[in-house]
Amino acid sequence: MAPIEKPAPATTPAVATPSSSYGVFRRPVESTGWKSWLFTIDHKKIGIMYGAVALFFFLVGGFEALLIRLQLAGPNGTILSADKYNQMFTMHATTMVFLFVMPMAAAFANYFVPLQIGARDVAFPRINAFGFWCFLGGGLFLNTSWLLGGAADGGWFMYAPNSSIPFSPTNGIDFWGLGLQITGIASLTGAINLIVTVINMRAPGMSLMKMPIFTWMILVVQFLLLFAIPVITVALFLLMFQRNFDATFFTVEAGADPLLWQHLFWIFGHPEVYILILPAFGIVSEVLPVFSKKPLFGYPLVVFSGCAIGFVGWGVWAHHMFASGIGPISVAVFSVSTMAIAIPTGVKIVNWTMTLWGGKLTYTTAMMFSIGLIVEFTIGGLSGVTHAVAPSDTQQTDTYYIVAHFHYVLFGGAIMGIFSGLYYWWPKMFGKLLSEKLGKWNFWTMIVGMNLTFGPMHIIGLQGQPRRMYVWTEARAGEGFFNLGFWNLVSSIGAFILGAGVLLFFINVLITSRRPERAPLDPWDARSLEWMTTSPPKEHNFDVIPTVGHLDEFFHRKYEDRGEGDHHDFHQVATAEAILAEQEANAEAHIHMPSPSYWPILLAFSLPVMAYGIIFNLLLIPVGAAIALGSMFGWSLEPHTASAGDYDPPAPDGSAELEVSTHG
Amino acid sequence: MSRSVTQPEKVQPEKVRTDLMPIEPPDTRSNRPRLRTAAVGIGASFALASCASNAPQDTWAPEGKYAQDIHNLQWPIFLIAGIVGVIVFAVIAFVVVKFKDRGQPIPEQSHGNALVEYVFIAIPALLLAGIAVPTVATVISLSDTDNADCVVNVTGQQWWWEFDYPVDADGNICGFAPTGEAAPIITSGQMVIPVDAKVVIRGTSRDVIHSFWVPKLNGKRDMVPGRVHTWNFHANQPGIFAGQCAEFCGLSHANMRMEIVALDDADFQSWIDNQLEPYQSPEQGTLAAKGEQTFVSQCSRCHQVDGLTNADGELVVASPEQFVWSGAAPNLTNLMTRNTFAGGSWDLITEDRRQQVWEASSQRFGALYLEGVTEGTLNEIDLKEWLRDAPSKKPMYTDPANLESTNGKTRGMPYLALSEDQINELVAYLIERK
Repeated sequence: MAPIEKPAPATTPAVATPSSSYGVFRRPVESTGWKSWLFTIDHKKIGIMYGAVALFFFLVGGFEALLIRLQLAGPNGTILSADKYNQMFTMHATTMVFLFVMPMAAAFANYFVPLQIGARDVAFPRINAFGFWCFLGGGLFLNTSWLLGGAADGGWFMYAPNSSIPFSPTNGIDFWGLGLQITGIASLTGAINLIVTVINMRAPGMSLMKMPIFTWMILVVQFLLLFAIPVITVALFLLMFQRNFDATFFTVEAGADPLLWQHLFWIFGHPEVYILILPAFGIVSEVLPVFSKKPLFGYPLVVFSGCAIGFVGWGVWAHHMFASGIGPISVAVFSVSTMAIAIPTGVKIVNWTMTLWGGKLTYTTAMMFSIGLIVEFTIGGLSGVTHAVAPSDTQQTDTYYIVAHFHYVLFGGAIMGIFSGLYYWWPKMFGKLLSEKLGKWNFWTMIVGMNLTFGPMHIIGLQGQPRRMYVWTEARAGEGFFNLGFWNLVSSIGAFILGAGVLLFFINVLITSRRPERAPLDPWDARSLEWMTTSPPKEHNFDVIPTVGHLDEFFHRKYEDRGEGDHHDFHQVATAEAILAEQEANAEAHIHMPSPSYWPILLAFSLPVMAYGIIFNLLLIPVGAAIALGSMFGWSLEPHTASAGDYDPPAPDGSAELEVSTHG
Repeated sequence: MSRSVTQPEKVQPEKVRTDLMPIEPPDTRSNRPRLRTAAVGIGASFALASCASNAPQDTWAPEGKYAQDIHNLQWPIFLIAGIVGVIVFAVIAFVVVKFKDRGQPIPEQSHGNALVEYVFIAIPALLLAGIAVPTVATVISLSDTDNADCVVNVTGQQWWWEFDYPVDADGNICGFAPTGEAAPIITSGQMVIPVDAKVVIRGTSRDVIHSFWVPKLNGKRDMVPGRVHTWNFHANQPGIFAGQCAEFCGLSHANMRMEIVALDDADFQSWIDNQLEPYQSPEQGTLAAKGEQTFVSQCSRCHQVDGLTNADGELVVASPEQFVWSGAAPNLTNLMTRNTFAGGSWDLITEDRRQQVWEASSQRFGALYLEGVTEGTLNEIDLKEWLRDAPSKKPMYTDPANLESTNGKTRGMPYLALSEDQINELVAYLIERK
């Protein structure tokens, strides 16, 4: 119960002060330097670390993608061996899905959900830190496979029985399964944490239907994670026992049905698609209104369609299996349910377009990425409808047409949204504006690059080139305008343009970080609560927990409607600076923030140790387990607060920062 | 093809049967059914994707009933999707230009319009309902595998396809009565079917999941170990139709191809009779006769040639299950009646010959195909490379150092350390396997 929303009466201690004596160790107190990052339980620092690590993995996954496109630029490519190519596309997908898009959403969610709902942290700050270190540990563990005998080579879908030992004798798939188990813990703990945070810790007056749309979409995603991650966890456990302990869950000779894996994987895997895309939908739904100077069109419908996608998303998994042989009735049912999910998705496109309609549009980089998302995602959505039609899908599935489709959805959707969010929220997170000029270069190279990369894949796929082939040959390439040779080359050239576009973002970050200018407090004339505090926000986010009366509360504090009846006439009545100054003047006297902790990182560290044990030597498991148990005891027995004496020099009694409450 | 560049002149066909040469321009009939869509927006670009010189696995160029059923369903949906896309983009372009900030006042803070919402829920819902009805009908009709004219058992294995033709209760194969004694036919790489017949495959796999896909004749169907999946094929005209394993099946997934060859009834009858002809040993004293001995000593552990006998006159029966993890190796009894080898990834025939076969008119195709591989049309280079060192040509798991997890059994054909003499003998022997 980290942040206490109302100051406790001054006469009583904030929390029944437990003595720090039953803590074996003191709690760390650093607020600057590397220790402040390693032991932090501040949702903003954790959010930044999630983002930094995710962007690092984005570069790793992008590098893998460029190798793939180099290999396929011409016929009979020789850049990669068949074995390396199979590892490359497996790890490209795994990295982009689990180590970039998901944690990037976690980054934004961690940083902005508490700010958007007017809270001072998440509900369980130490668990939050634990989740991040699990993600980092799992991601690094997964990638060490490159150096320890080769990465996983079964595709990110890892179909059985091709994932069994006889068919993939290296340790790659063990690394994959165990690594994803560890990052899965990050997702699961994060989901519970954010659900509790959103349900319990909203500022006074913020009913669910006054909650910012980004927070809404994140809430839906956390419920999806909460129910989807256990499914993949079960599947990964079966895989682990299959490979490491001679179980026969997927051994056909022992009576197994390989379709078991497919069902488990896609019951996770399809909601996963919405886990990847809904945060981006949330970001866009924040950005478009701000730069249109209008509220989101049909906010309740956007909320409900998000929830509808969340529900129906559970009923479409077998559309990944139209060719698997699940029988005509199943195919028909899942075909129709897949069409049904296009309706709430279409609602979003319509609502975004109608948000723009009649607005006062300014084309910042964030806005351009958001409009880019509407366009590119629409292409992906429409190609999606063509394979909701199951007979048509039996021609398209496992071809490049599907690769085109989901890259329009995930790059044109999720990643466009992420970049929109980066440009939009960067000044809030770091107090500096990214260069708009470079930003526009960034946008245009990315959009040209992505359409050149993924657009031709529609043609390549409809011309019959299957996915996951380490070479294509001229014998199956055809001639004339639609020949595979030309379009594979275009796609590869596009990939490098896209890569250059992505690099421009990092160049932008580097250049602007050296500039001295601070960003204005409210550079975009924004509408939601995260902009109603300093940039970057103070550790406790708000000096005064705001009381909310409107959707778009911040806008309504800045603007007043002087119209009458149906006639509206908005006038600015306050600036962000004035609103902030008023808050600072009335700052709450007693703000309780949790202390950092040593234990989350240590507990997370124990997991890769045990995972290496399963692969290399079972003796490592008790070592890891001992670290885990020790960390759990340390976690539960550490002092509830850092005491004044822990600071160097000792902090003056009674300072706001000092009054820390405890459970994380 | 890149490898044709290295094709020496000596293997060019010396005597070309001029009566079999295509005298018409390449067949362009696949153009017709789609021209009606060619006018409209994005739909047009997809429709153009089906011109005659397109890739052999073009999914928009149906050549049989089932692929046509799919196509009749898919092109209107592409068209609708294209139209919707164009409308959405036009509206967005309009909005982006029209409502640019030119100093207009802050717009009304309107939260929506119920009528607009309902209309834009109703329109896609109606469109999708309209799509759903024919979709479900087609799903049901495509899955009807009763009343087959011809049944072929298809088995996927890393990384090739095996086809076997059962003999039915009346002693027929695919509804055709063999002229001689009836026996099951086992072949690989190319599935030969009678034209204009409902061919039902009963498919499975010996190891991992594969997917059987010949786009011009039907969509794909996974071949799952432990399960038997049925799927329909039908070809309108004689011809050869390219296919490829479409489900990722491990190391050499890219090298797992197949073709369906459709022959008219008379040609199909000849094909069956030819496949069932008794084994003939090479003439004594020839290179091929040496090759027979080499085959027995080097190849017959895994590869079956029906009727082959050893020096003692005993029938040689291959036992691939002892050496190959997945349990089988291609039956080579009539190898040279096929056009490809090694999982359909390399041609047994020269590049020129290949073009003749693939571009032949439907009238001439059957005779050309039934000629099989002759000394003049043999692609010696790839075949010899394969015999010299198969794993370096096609990635496979054959290195004894890495076979611990498969009890020393290989996945694919190992390196056999054959001498050049042995290779020449084997080629001479194999060329007679027709």
